[in-house]
Amino acid sequence: MSQTVLDVRDLEAGYEPGVPIVRGASITVDKGEIVVVLGPNGAGKSSLIKAVAGLVPISRGKVLLDGNDITAAPAHTMVRLGLAFVPQTENVFPLMSVEDNLKVACGILERREAPARIAEMYAMFPDLARQKRSAAGNLSGGQRQMLAVARALIIHPKVLVLDEPSAGLSPKFVSMVFEMLSAIRKSGVTILLVEQNAKAALAIGDRAYVLVEGKERHEGVASTLWDDPVVAELYLGQRPLKPEAGGAA
Amino acid sequence: MIDLLGYGAFFLTTALIFSLVTLGLNLQWGLTGLFNVGLAGFVAIGAYTSALLTTPDDPARLGGLGLPILVGWLGAMVVGGLAAALTGIATLRLKSDYLAITTFGVAVVVQLVALNAQKLTGGPFGIGFIPRPFSGLAETPLLFNLSNLAVVSAVTLVVYLALQHLARSPWGRVLKALREDERAAVSLGKSARFYRVQAFAVGGAIMALAGALQAHFIGFIAPDNYLPILTFQVWVMLIVGGSGSNAGAVAGSVLVWAIWAGSGALTSVLFSPEQQARAAALQIVAIGVMLCVILLVRPTGLFGDRPRRPRLGKHARMAPSEGGSGS
Amino acid sequence: MSLQFVVDGLLAGSMIGLGAIGVTLTYSILRFSNFAHGDFMAWGAYATLVCVGAIGALFGKVAPIAPLSFGWPLIVGLIAGMAFTALLVLLLDKVLFSRLRRQEQAIIVVMGSFGASMALRSLLEFIFTSRPTYFSRAIQIAMPVGLGIRITPDQIALLVLTVVLVVGVHLLTTRTQTGRSMQAMSQNPALARVVGIDVAGVVRVTWIIGAALACVAGVMIGILIQIRPFMGFDMLLPMFAAAILGGIGSIPGAVLGGLIIGLAEAGAVQLIGAEWRAAVSFIILMAVLFVRPIGLFGVRER
Repeated sequence: MSQTVLDVRDLEAGYEPGVPIVRGASITVDKGEIVVVLGPNGAGKSSLIKAVAGLVPISRGKVLLDGNDITAAPAHTMVRLGLAFVPQTENVFPLMSVEDNLKVACGILERREAPARIAEMYAMFPDLARQKRSAAGNLSGGQRQMLAVARALIIHPKVLVLDEPSAGLSPKFVSMVFEMLSAIRKSGVTILLVEQNAKAALAIGDRAYVLVEGKERHEGVASTLWDDPVVAELYLGQRPLKPEAGGAA
Repeated sequence: MIDLLGYGAFFLTTALIFSLVTLGLNLQWGLTGLFNVGLAGFVAIGAYTSALLTTPDDPARLGGLGLPILVGWLGAMVVGGLAAALTGIATLRLKSDYLAITTFGVAVVVQLVALNAQKLTGGPFGIGFIPRPFSGLAETPLLFNLSNLAVVSAVTLVVYLALQHLARSPWGRVLKALREDERAAVSLGKSARFYRVQAFAVGGAIMALAGALQAHFIGFIAPDNYLPILTFQVWVMLIVGGSGSNAGAVAGSVLVWAIWAGSGALTSVLFSPEQQARAAALQIVAIGVMLCVILLVRPTGLFGDRPRRPRLGKHARMAPSEGGSGS
Repeated sequence: MSLQFVVDGLLAGSMIGLGAIGVTLTYSILRFSNFAHGDFMAWGAYATLVCVGAIGALFGKVAPIAPLSFGWPLIVGLIAGMAFTALLVLLLDKVLFSRLRRQEQAIIVVMGSFGASMALRSLLEFIFTSRPTYFSRAIQIAMPVGLGIRITPDQIALLVLTVVLVVGVHLLTTRTQTGRSMQAMSQNPALARVVGIDVAGVVRVTWIIGAALACVAGVMIGILIQIRPFMGFDMLLPMFAAAILGGIGSIPGAVLGGLIIGLAEAGAVQLIGAEWRAAVSFIILMAVLFVRPIGLFGVRER
């Protein structure tokens, strides 16, 4: 029996009181899994995981991490509780060096542990080691994504939550990012991610949810979800290649 | 009774001159969102310009052109407007804080010029013998005060109506739209900036006009009239009245001036002469606290008509990262 | 032209620079121009003065540390004054600034700081009156150090103190976890929360650093010139100009900007007269805004 790491129950959340964007969504993520959240434009996918990460006010429902209620926890305590979030854009500190970007996330680690963790990240992402002195703002899009993921992993999270890690990247980097996530999962990290790039995400995912109008409409095994007629109609029929601009409105 | 009426006219005249300044500030801040913490400088520019244009020739300093009062007022508006336009051109392509700091600097420099450029401004002693409208009536103070009140009321009314009209015009609607989204206003580039420079200049001209009116009403000006406390008073008037509303600006001015003059009169009765400087300081503390309290509990002011919607601002900022492709 | 203006300029620049560090930190981390920062200086100076007075009442007259004009009471008083100023500022943040920040309109916070500035300054005037006071009325002999320059022991001590403080703050902000957190907050507050930085903690540290340095600058003014309620308000324009000249957010920039403005002021005093001193910062400010608004070490906003 697999163990549930992240358990989101009947979550309602939104930026303005009385205007929920997430409307009663429930999802679970088991240990060692990659779970993908898909959905059409404006379905509230990003808001859902931002609410989980403490960045969007929650008006109803619960978020449990390893059985602990983390629903009302402030965003800055999430890493301590074991949840690391990688935002979609602006996810590195552009004027700080790569090394400082990693160091700044080590706040919750033991003082002596930090250098070792940073070395491990450099071993995992040799590109970053080569550029550790340069400002993060000078990295390529793919390298920035690597840095953001490395910074999230450095604290041994129980679950890694990513908001559209492939957004805005060129196709070469897109496949690189998904390979990277696949490798990270193999090292035992549990992953929840929101994606527009459904095909690539389902290829590496174990399970997937389809979110429509702020609620999960469909759940299934990632490899077969692609062929499900309900999903095809709900989502893949209008598979959006265009950006989801103003999706929350 | 006559005395009281005379004082009432005097009080109202001063209050209405203040409300002119507040109207100018309301155009800059309430309508356009431009933060001016150096408005005392623009008021001073108006007062000195008009004084230089209209006073009789004085060998001790430059000018004293002896021109008609109306020319002085117009000159004040032109110079005040130009000074404000320059300030705007320098700063309005930048974030709003830079405008605030620069206007603060303008007030410092104007104060410095007023104090030190003796040849131009008369230095610390200021300029006297500024012609007063209806000076022929000075024999009967009541009539004099009432006629001045009539003039100032008329000017205030004209400015008020003009501003009301402007706010409803397409020009005013553009300003409001720019106010709501500073980032857009900055990124829209030259045309948007030009609108804001215009608003800032017109506001500056109105403040300068108020300065000129005040100079001709009192007949005498000195640098002390234009200290930072003036800026502060006018801000309190606008915030109390509710920024965005011209009627609120006038009402706030009269109300705050009444509180100010009343508490001033009270301290002069209650405190011995040697304690009065201290009591005056306490008066300023009280007004400063009042400003902060209003900002905290009722940022729309007592008569404000514009509900602020900070949540909306946040939402608008968050929305692009909610979806959309990262760049 | 006598080279004496170099010493005068470095001293003025130290006071401006120490103040400008606070201004630039407040702007980059709390995101508003704090018009009350000058009044923190004045409060710091008066707090130190009161402490020195209290020590004098308790221990009697203490001999100065030769060749300086002051003894250990001033040093103890300064430390107490820094602590007091920091507490005052934290209290002000709690009752005013933090609540205004929640309205999410930066300019409302600026306006609040303007009101606070008036209230703080007038409160000093109420308590201590507007008459200037001094830490010491002793007159120090200035030693000639060559090239026609003279300098007093007090001035040397204060310049050394400035260097120590600036280096200390620079190391704190670049080499420690606290400093990295502050940088992170200034670059992206939302992301800072995501990586586990306690925003409230960073805000507190920012205020404490700014307040403590403002107190030191105020005491420097008190030792070298005089103490009066307007002393900090008059420093506001030079401090803002220095912070903008150096590039908002940059601590070395703020100090360098302060020194440039201090030297320019001292030069102008010698060339055209002391009464125009205040115009120097305005001219430099306007020049920076027209030519290079991001300042010497500034970075273009995203």
